[in-house]
Amino acid sequence: MKSPKFWWKLLCIPLGLYVLLAGLLVPLKPGILGIDNYNAEVGGEFNVNVIGYNSNYDSAKKLRAYLRIDSSYVISHKGVKASSANDLNVSFQIPQYLPTQDSFASASIILDSEVDGPSVLPGIIHIVQNEIDQQLGNDLWSSAKFTLEPVVKGFKFPYRNILHETVRNTFFHVAIWFAMFFLLILSLFNSIQYLRLRSYELDINASSYAEVAILFGLIGIATGSIWAKYAWGAFWIADVKLNMSAVALLIYVAYLILRASIQDIDSRARLSAAYNIFAFVAMIPLIFVIPRMTDSLHPGNGGNPALGGEDLDNRLRMVFYPAIILWSIIGFWLSSLNIRIKNIAEKLIAKK
Amino acid sequence: MMRNSLSFYLRLMKNRSTSQSSYMKPYQIISILFLLLFSPLSSWAQSDPDFLRSTGKIYSVIAVIVILFLGIIFFIFRLDKKVTEIEKQITNE
Repeated sequence: MKSPKFWWKLLCIPLGLYVLLAGLLVPLKPGILGIDNYNAEVGGEFNVNVIGYNSNYDSAKKLRAYLRIDSSYVISHKGVKASSANDLNVSFQIPQYLPTQDSFASASIILDSEVDGPSVLPGIIHIVQNEIDQQLGNDLWSSAKFTLEPVVKGFKFPYRNILHETVRNTFFHVAIWFAMFFLLILSLFNSIQYLRLRSYELDINASSYAEVAILFGLIGIATGSIWAKYAWGAFWIADVKLNMSAVALLIYVAYLILRASIQDIDSRARLSAAYNIFAFVAMIPLIFVIPRMTDSLHPGNGGNPALGGEDLDNRLRMVFYPAIILWSIIGFWLSSLNIRIKNIAEKLIAKK
Repeated sequence: MMRNSLSFYLRLMKNRSTSQSSYMKPYQIISILFLLLFSPLSSWAQSDPDFLRSTGKIYSVIAVIVILFLGIIFFIFRLDKKVTEIEKQITNE
């Protein structure tokens, strides 16, 4: 039996279910949502309430807390007391001197248990000292034996501070950009083929792919804006990656305007094919090169890792790659409908 | 905000009944869709200013999915319009 020609359309159903269900239902690893005390003084007791996320403080048997300055100076907790699964009270005895030449230091709080694994809130506690003795500070702060439990078992997405659950936007915002590139490459290919073969159908293909790609680009900008609001605090910031992708998108919108403004079919096809190649060549440095040369908040630019490190771990990849395939298929499907409708309309005009 | 959008909706409905066509225009459908979507959001936002930030910001993920869905629906609307034009041409022949 021959498999049906539309098998790739049926693929949308399992892929879509998998991306939506796994993408939304897989829990995050335990993490620290926040603390209520940010200021400590040397020589005193520092008492802090920790609010956890997806954590199991009350059922952990070997719960330990650490304060860490830089990456090597650590003190251990004096006492820990869990009042519920997500509420913990920790007290530290802060030593008399800090391991620094300055009058203050920023310490990270680290929790570790055999149930939850390690979780960190970096550089959040501000400790001040009046007298400075770095040598003594170094000795006082390296007294704790600092060993972390192995990472928790089970299929869980990483807990990232600030991002929290929005790490799931990777499957929608990032994947829709990847699908956009897929469609733009198809559009570019058809434009080049048009300039070689001068077949009008190739022009219809190129414009249809570009239309869906621009729609995906607009969705990408809008979803990224929402994500920015809940990760960085504003819908739009003067960031090089954001501005350059907006410019790249405007260049492609100009492609649609160019097409709409030319009446003659042949010159429209020729000009827009040439412009499409220009737009693609302009987009590559705008989105991929320039943002990498300067500082940017956006992951993947200016020293920020994106497709590596902890931002995209192997668990996220298991949903992220299917998501790219899903949105690419949906984009391809929408463009193929677009192409078929345009071809029918052309045939009707030719008949008259 | 709720009251404003309600009066906007009522005005839309009024325009609809006075216009010649008995069908809603696409922009009317889209604005009503937006209204239906964001009126509950705005009322949640009134009761709890940090609704989209609650429970680990999961509702901002929902907002992202809603935008994605609306974008694709918008494109299907456009395709639908093109098919309707072709159908009209065929029946006119």
